[in-house]
Amino acid sequence: MAIADAGSSLTDEQRAIRDVVREFAVEEIRPTAREADETETFPEDVWDGLSDLDLTGLTVPEEYGGFDADRTTYALVNEEVAYGQLAVATALSVHCLATSCIAEFGSEDQKETWLPEMTRGRPVGMFALSEPDAGSNPAQMSTVARRDGDEYVINGKKQWITNGQRGEVCILFAKTDPDDPSSVTQFLVPKDAGFEVGKKEHKLGLRASDTTGLLFDDVRIPAENRLTEEGKGLSAAFHILTGGRVGIAAQAVGLAQSAFDEAREYAHEREQFDGPISDIQSVRHKFSDMATQIHAARLMVREAARQDDAGEDPRTAAAMAKYFASEAAVDVTNEAVQIHGGYGYTTDFEVERMYRDSKITTIYEGTSEIQKDIIARGVLD
Amino acid sequence: MKVLVTVKEVAEVEDDFEIADLDVDPRYLEYDLNEWDEYAVESAVQLAEAADEEVEVVSVTIGPERSEETIRMALAKGVDRAVRVWDDDIEAAEFLDVASKVRLLEAVVAEEDPDIVLSGVQAHDTGFGATGVALADAIGFEWGAVVNALDIEGVLNDGVARVHRELEGGIEELTEIDLPAVLTIQTGINEPRYASLRGIRQAQSKEIAPKTLSDLGLDFSAVESELFLTDMYEPETESDATYFEGDAGEQAAALASALREKGVGAE
Repeated sequence: MAIADAGSSLTDEQRAIRDVVREFAVEEIRPTAREADETETFPEDVWDGLSDLDLTGLTVPEEYGGFDADRTTYALVNEEVAYGQLAVATALSVHCLATSCIAEFGSEDQKETWLPEMTRGRPVGMFALSEPDAGSNPAQMSTVARRDGDEYVINGKKQWITNGQRGEVCILFAKTDPDDPSSVTQFLVPKDAGFEVGKKEHKLGLRASDTTGLLFDDVRIPAENRLTEEGKGLSAAFHILTGGRVGIAAQAVGLAQSAFDEAREYAHEREQFDGPISDIQSVRHKFSDMATQIHAARLMVREAARQDDAGEDPRTAAAMAKYFASEAAVDVTNEAVQIHGGYGYTTDFEVERMYRDSKITTIYEGTSEIQKDIIARGVLD
Repeated sequence: MKVLVTVKEVAEVEDDFEIADLDVDPRYLEYDLNEWDEYAVESAVQLAEAADEEVEVVSVTIGPERSEETIRMALAKGVDRAVRVWDDDIEAAEFLDVASKVRLLEAVVAEEDPDIVLSGVQAHDTGFGATGVALADAIGFEWGAVVNALDIEGVLNDGVARVHRELEGGIEELTEIDLPAVLTIQTGINEPRYASLRGIRQAQSKEIAPKTLSDLGLDFSAVESELFLTDMYEPETESDATYFEGDAGEQAAALASALREKGVGAE
């Protein structure tokens, strides 16, 4: 059974895009994964390749040179890039969050200044919402952008910023009034405005991705770099993140599928008790569970994407997809290591990295607990 | 200028398979663009991109509707339009031998009137390695086989294909071939690109023109093969590997005596 096709009503275009990105993931992205993880270095050549495929302009409108993908296509691309390497998919989806913010909230000038170049891959985008003391509750943030004539003066610290070192354009969320939690506003801050990049975090997984803090110390930006009206920043963030969430869920599916495929190949080759371990019922049933989880997660992603494409409110479906798919990725990569036995616990096998990578999917862009809050609001209130 | 690229959707066999009658059971087959043709497509697109004047790249394939997915990928990489030859008579033909394919392609060449025809050296599945050069003979073009380097400027400006041809033993032959010509393209001549997303989107609206035998002024006799498959089977494989223990010297000594036992080398 071709699992990736199941239940789908993909167009010919979407199918072709999926196939090309899968091929690119297998041939170009995956081979860089081990070294990128070991050395905590982002594979920049792969990024240039993503640009050649038009993926860095995935969510940019066509008039600025982008591809303007529908949400289903966006999810397919995220799934397949993550099939190659989660850290690359994460970097791409954050870049796309930044271009989406500029496309949706930016002025004509800002769009023309940034989008064509970002479509070509550089400058790389960042999305700065979280802070050391404001994670799941961003309204608790303390970064302040104080109006001073034709400028805003920014002070504060951001945390967990993907592309923190590589990135050049930061979508920043800050309060315009430190005492008013409802004053969160969205800004565009180029790196050359002068903020400081903190140390790179050393992480359990996703090690090729440069995650840093950002320190703003009296950083001045022109007032026209404000993307939303004062106080409209948080709802704008949530709106953009709902779409992004479908992409993160799709990445979890791609990661789970990659671990499944590694385990499947291994189970056919590894012989114990006079035959391949794929003949042993306790192992076979693991594959049944893994395949079912992946299939369910993929269908949830597709449905959330369909709702978004159809103009329905996808918030509950997107949260369900992100919650289910990320937990499934943790389960599936865990079983993939188990199927590999002792070998799966070594860095010689890909599943070891995939297992470490999987955990972040239940944490970033809304923890599983936050997703459950969103789901509960959708089904109860 | 017009470049015609012959492309084929080839069957790839899974590791484990069964044979049904005279072919591999279709359940064990997957289809993809012939690897050599990928390089031919890339050469054609590079020619078009390097040209100041308009160069049209047309692909031609003999294949059922299923092959359109593969053809679209070539369109996404920069081929301008495609011709697909197929009908019930071709479908019913037991086996399309080289002569049959050449008769069909010859008719397409007559319609398209290309300046240069690029073809893969061989097809991954049937492996005759003959279609390109046989076509050249039929249409009276010059030809160069197993081309692993092509001077694009020469083709565009001088009407000459200056090519490197790969010979056995690591020798390369440099040849000048006057156009019109057929070149069979070897893998490694270039680095085939991935289709871009925009290319894929544009390809959805590019033309794939279906052609029947009668469209080409032919009838079923064009696909009457003089070659018949009589059997297909998987040969018994014997695995008899010996691993020699010890350091390099001990392994070499053991190998030497094993070879002598088999009658290799002088006493």
